[in-house]
Amino acid sequence: MTESRREFLKKSGGCALGMAAVATQMQHLGMMSAIAQKVDDDSSRPEGGDAYKALVLIFWSGGNDGNNMVIPNHDSPTISNYNAYSAARGAQGLAIARNTLLPITVPRMGALEYGLHPALGPVAGGTNNGIHELWAQQKMAIVTNCGTLVQPTTKAQYQMSSHRKPYQLFSHSDQTAQYQTSISNTQSFTGWGGRVSDKMTAGSNPAGLIPMITSISGAQLFTAGQTTLPMAINDSNTLLANVLNPAGFTNTGGPARLTAFNQLRSLDLESNFVAAASHVTDLAMQANSALQTPGDTTTVFPNTGIGRQLRQVARLIKKRTDLNVNRQIFYCQIGGFDTHANQLASHTTLFTQFSQAVRSFYDEMGVQGVQNDVTTFTLSDFGRTLNPAGSGTGVGSDHAWGNHMFVMGGSVLGGDFYGMNTPNGTPFPTLTLGGIDDTDSSTAPRGRWIPTTSVDQYAATLARWYGLQPDQQSLVFPNVANFPTANLGFLP
Amino acid sequence: MVSMKTHNILRIFTAALAVCLMVISALAQDDPDPNSPTPILLAGPDRTRVLAVPTRRIRLFDQGAASRQAFPPNSKITIYVRNVDLMEGEGANAFRVYAEDAKGRQFRFPILAFRVSDPEKSTYAVTIRLRDDIGYWQSPIPNGDLLIRIAWRGLTSDRLRLGYGSTGGSIKDDPIPFSSARTATSKFFNNEDAAESSRPGYVGYRWSGDRMRFLEQAAFGPTSALDSRIRRIGLRTWLHEQFEAPYPSLTNPYPNIPLKSTDAQNVTLGCGANNNTLEYRTCIRDHYTMYPAQAWFFKEAYYGEPQLRHRVSWALSQIWVISGVDTQQASWLIDYHQVLSEHTFGNFRNLMKDMTLNPGMGNYLDMARSTRNNPNENYAREILQLFAVGLFMLNPDGTLQLDGQGQPIPTYDQNTVNNFTKVFTGFSFCNTTCPNSAPGIVNYKDPLILNQNNHDITAKTLLSYPGAVNQNIAPGLNGNTEIDLALDNIFMHPNVGPFVGKLLIQHMVTSDPTPAYVGRVAAVFNNNGLGIRGDLKAVVRAILLDPEARGDVKTDPNFGKLREPVQFATNIFRTFNVKSANLAQNSDGVFYPQANNLLGTMGQSAFYSPTVFNYFSPDYVIPGTSLLGPEFGVMTTGTAIARANFVNTMVFAQISTSENVPLGTKLDFAEMQALAAADATGNQLLDALNQKMMHGAMSASMRSTILTAVTNIASTNPLARAQQAIYLVATSSQYQIQR
Repeated sequence: MTESRREFLKKSGGCALGMAAVATQMQHLGMMSAIAQKVDDDSSRPEGGDAYKALVLIFWSGGNDGNNMVIPNHDSPTISNYNAYSAARGAQGLAIARNTLLPITVPRMGALEYGLHPALGPVAGGTNNGIHELWAQQKMAIVTNCGTLVQPTTKAQYQMSSHRKPYQLFSHSDQTAQYQTSISNTQSFTGWGGRVSDKMTAGSNPAGLIPMITSISGAQLFTAGQTTLPMAINDSNTLLANVLNPAGFTNTGGPARLTAFNQLRSLDLESNFVAAASHVTDLAMQANSALQTPGDTTTVFPNTGIGRQLRQVARLIKKRTDLNVNRQIFYCQIGGFDTHANQLASHTTLFTQFSQAVRSFYDEMGVQGVQNDVTTFTLSDFGRTLNPAGSGTGVGSDHAWGNHMFVMGGSVLGGDFYGMNTPNGTPFPTLTLGGIDDTDSSTAPRGRWIPTTSVDQYAATLARWYGLQPDQQSLVFPNVANFPTANLGFLP
Repeated sequence: MVSMKTHNILRIFTAALAVCLMVISALAQDDPDPNSPTPILLAGPDRTRVLAVPTRRIRLFDQGAASRQAFPPNSKITIYVRNVDLMEGEGANAFRVYAEDAKGRQFRFPILAFRVSDPEKSTYAVTIRLRDDIGYWQSPIPNGDLLIRIAWRGLTSDRLRLGYGSTGGSIKDDPIPFSSARTATSKFFNNEDAAESSRPGYVGYRWSGDRMRFLEQAAFGPTSALDSRIRRIGLRTWLHEQFEAPYPSLTNPYPNIPLKSTDAQNVTLGCGANNNTLEYRTCIRDHYTMYPAQAWFFKEAYYGEPQLRHRVSWALSQIWVISGVDTQQASWLIDYHQVLSEHTFGNFRNLMKDMTLNPGMGNYLDMARSTRNNPNENYAREILQLFAVGLFMLNPDGTLQLDGQGQPIPTYDQNTVNNFTKVFTGFSFCNTTCPNSAPGIVNYKDPLILNQNNHDITAKTLLSYPGAVNQNIAPGLNGNTEIDLALDNIFMHPNVGPFVGKLLIQHMVTSDPTPAYVGRVAAVFNNNGLGIRGDLKAVVRAILLDPEARGDVKTDPNFGKLREPVQFATNIFRTFNVKSANLAQNSDGVFYPQANNLLGTMGQSAFYSPTVFNYFSPDYVIPGTSLLGPEFGVMTTGTAIARANFVNTMVFAQISTSENVPLGTKLDFAEMQALAAADATGNQLLDALNQKMMHGAMSASMRSTILTAVTNIASTNPLARAQQAIYLVATSSQYQIQR
C-alpha cells in the first residue's frame, strides 16, 4: 500500500502539478482528471514463468436487456418473483413465458430457481447445447446488477446532485466508453484492457511477436492503452497467415517495391500524423511475419459474426507458443442489442448466436487443453428499462443502467450469482417500477436499476486473476478503491 | 406567435438580400497570397536554446534562473516569437507551444498571455506555463532539456532547447530544422502555370501546392481539369460557382427508387418469395440494400460538377448519421440524403427541422415510434449530444468552459433529455394523406406528421444557457408548434457554432484545429456578417479560406488529417482519371458487396456506419501519442494492410465486372506511363507524382527511395515503372496524411 501510494504520487508528478493539470482546459480530450489518467508506461515486472492466461471479452453492443436474460423462476413472497417480472412486462408482450425458461439454481439466493433466456440452451439447428449447461457444471457465473458507478450510490444519493455519478447515464457512447475504460467520473482515452496491457506486456510477454491485445472487431476504446496499440484483425473468414499480409510484391519489380514500401515508413517522421500511420503499419508487418505458421481449430464454430470472431481468437490461442505470448486479451463484439423495438425476435436471434459461439469456443479451449487458462466475460453499454417501450409484436425496451454479466471458463467459480447486495439484501434487483432499486420515482417510472456492483469491481476481479499486480491495481482502476472490495470472488 | 412569424419573414428577406450582396462581392474578389510567414522563436546567444525569462520570480534566491537557463515545473516563463503577421482578433489562442522530452513524448504548454514586445510590433512576448495542457502523459520529468516550438496556422518554428528542472540531458537537436524539412514549393510547377499567371489582369490562384490541398479539402480530390480551372479563376470565384451549381450533376440524378413493403418477400409490394433468380437478387439489391445509393454517391464523387456540395454533404452525413445497418431500403436513405444536401448550403436551423422530421432518421433514431405513453429518448439525446450542442459548455472558440473547481460544465442532464423526449412524441409516418402514401408500404419519403393525440402536452423545461430561447414550454401546445420552439432552443445555444464548426473543420481540413480557427468559423456561424445565424454557406467559405487551412506548405507536425477510406479511394481515383474496367467509359461507382467491400475492409463502407457515432469519433486520440486524430479510429493493423491491398488492387488490377458490377472500375495511367517512357531517369514521373499527390512537398529522401525502386524496373517497361511509383506514393504514410 505504501509503495503503491508512493508510486502514485511520483507518477502524478507531485500534487501541485496534478491539481494544476485539472484546472487546465482539455479542449480536445474532454476533461480528464489528472489523477485518473496517470498511468505509467514503463513499469512492469516479470510474472515469473507462470502458466498462460487469456481474457476474452464479448461486448454486447447496443445495451443488452439483462431483464430478459436472467429471470426469477420462483414464487418467493419476499423477493421479486416471476409474477413481479410478468406484471411489469407481460401486458405489453415483452415477458418470456415461464415454461420456456432454462432453470438455474442459485445458492446465493437461498437456492431459489432462476431462469435463463431459452435461446441460451439447445436450439433448433444448433451445433451444441449452448451455455446453459455450463451453469450446472459450475463453469459459468453471473455478476448481477453491475454497472457504471463513481462510488456506491443509493436511490437517495442518486437524487442528490452533489453525489458523484457517472457522466451521461443512458447514453450509448458514454456508457460504452465507461464500461470499456472503467472510469466513470471523467472521459478517458485509454481502456482498462489497454491499461492492463501497458502494465503487463514487458513483464509477461517480453519478447511477444504480437501485441498483448487483439481486437477481432476493429479499433475499440477498451483495447487502447497509453502505449499499447492493439492488433486488429478480421474474423476467421481470413486465415491468420493472410490476415495482415499485404498482397502483391511478386510481379515485376516486386522485391524492390517491398524494400521501398518498408523504407518509406522510416522517413518524414517529423509529422506526428505520418509517424502514427507508419507505426500502425510497422506493427502490422511485424505481426504478419509471426502469423505465418500453420494451424487451425478442430471444434465446429457457427458461421455467425461472433462465431467467426471467437474461432479466430481460438486460432490465435493455439499459436500462443509460436507467438511467444504468455498473456493475451481479446475483444469480440456482437451488435444489435439496442432493442427499442421488435425485441423478442431479435433478442432470440442474438442470444442464439452468442450462446452457440461461446459454447463452441469453450469446447475448443478444452480440446486445446487451456480451458482453465481462458476466461470469457461480457460487457455491454447498459441494461434496459423493465418497463417496455411500445407493445405487441413491435415491443422493445429503452436505455437503462444496472445489468447482468456472464463469466465463463474452467477456472470460474461458477453456478452462482456474484456482486454486491441491493437494498433488498440480495444481489438481484427488486423488479418493481419506481421501487427501491429504480432510479425513477416519478408518475411513469421506467425501471432503470441503480447498480450495486461497479464495472470497476468486476473488471478488477478479472484483471487480478489475469495477473495484474496488487500494487498496480489502483493505477489501472483509479476508482475501485471507492468500493468495499476489488475482488468479487468469481475467480480464484 | 405573430412575432415569431414576422421574425421568420424578416429572416428570409435578409437572407435574400445577403445572397445578392455576396454575388457581387464574390465576383469582385481576388485571392490574396495564402502563405503565412513561418514563425520564428527567438534563440539565446548560443542559438540552440530558446530565449526565455521567468515571468515572475517565486523566490528571491531563484534570481539566477535566467542565467542558469533552467526553469522549474509549473513556472511561468516568457518566450518571444517574430515573423508573424496577425490579423484582427488573432492572439494567444491562435498559437500553440509544444514540447518534446527525451522519451519522445509530446506536451503542450498553455499560453497565458500574448502581447507585442517591441515598438516595431514585429516581436511578440508569449507567456506560457511549464505544465502539460493535454494531459495524455504525466508531465515531463524536470531533469534536462526539452525541445520546444511554437505553431501558428499550420506552420511551426524550428525547435529550440528549454532547460526544464536542469539543462542538458539526453535529448538531441533536430538534424534538419523543422522549417526546412519540407521544401517550400516553388510558385509554379510548370510553364503553363507561369504563363497563365503572368497574363495581364490575371486573377486566378497561382499557388499550386495549395490548389491541390484545397481540392482535397473542398472536393473528392484534385483532377487536372479542376486544377487548371482554379488556377484560372481562383478559389473565391470557384466557391461562388459551387454554391450556385445544381446538385446533383444533371447527368447523375438521385436514383428514383420506389418504396417497397418492409416485408421483402411480399409478393406484390416486395420482391416476392426468394427463388434465387437473377430477377429476385437484383430486386433485393436495388431496393433492400444501399447499393444504388452507394453507386450514385461514388459516381458523383468521381465525376460530379458540384464537388463542394457533395463533399460537405458527405461530412454532414457523418454528423447527422443514419446507416444502412438499420435502414432497410435504399429509397429511405436517398430521401434522407436529398433532404440533407438541400440544406448543405442553406441554414442549419432548416437542416435541423427537416432532419428531425425525416422518416429515415425517424426510424433510425426511433422518433417515429415515440409516443406520449411509450416515449423513446433516442433522438432527443442524439440531437443534443451528437448533432448540435455536445456534452459540455464551450467557449466561443470551442474550448471547454470550466467551473470554479476546474471541471467542465455539462450542457444538459437526463432531465433535459426527458423533456426533449416529450417534445418529440407523436410524430410518425404519413401513410395515408401525403403524396407518397400508398397502401401496404410505409411512407419513407414524406416528412413525419403529427398525431396530436400521441403528443405529450405537458410543460417542458429545455436547455438552459445565458439568454436561453424558449427554455420553458407551456403545456397544451400543438406538437408542430413545440418542435419549432424546441429546435430554436437548441439552435440558439451558444455551443452550436463552435461545436458544428469544429466538426466540419475536422472533416475537411485538420484533426486538431487551433481554438482561434474554430473561433473564427464559429463567429461566422453565429453571424454571417449580415446578422444571420447558421448560414452554412458562409461557414464552409470561412473554413476553406481561413489562413490555417491555406498556404503552399504546412510544416506543423500536428497539422492535417488521415485521409478517411472514402477520401483515400476517391482522391487516388480522381488523380488517375478513374474509368470503367475496360477504360472505355465512366466507372459504375460500384464497390461490391455493400458492406464488406474494398472500402469496408478499410473501415468505411459508405452509408453503413456501424452506429450513430459514425465510423470514428471526433475525440479519438491516437494511442501512444497525445494527438487527436478521428480518422485513426479506423486505422488499425488490419485496415492499414487493407489500405495497401486496396492500392495493390487498383494499381495492378481493377474492380472487375460481375453480376453486380456492370462496368467495373479501373485507373488510367496513360499520362504517367508517357512520362516514364519520356525520361529513363524516372525524374519526370516523380515530379508529376510529387505535384499531383504530395502538393509538391515530397521530401528528398522519399523521392530517392521511390526512384530507386522505379529504376529497378527496365526503362523499356514504362507502365510497370509508373505503377511502381504510384503504388509506393499511394501506400506511403506521407500520402495517407492530408496535410
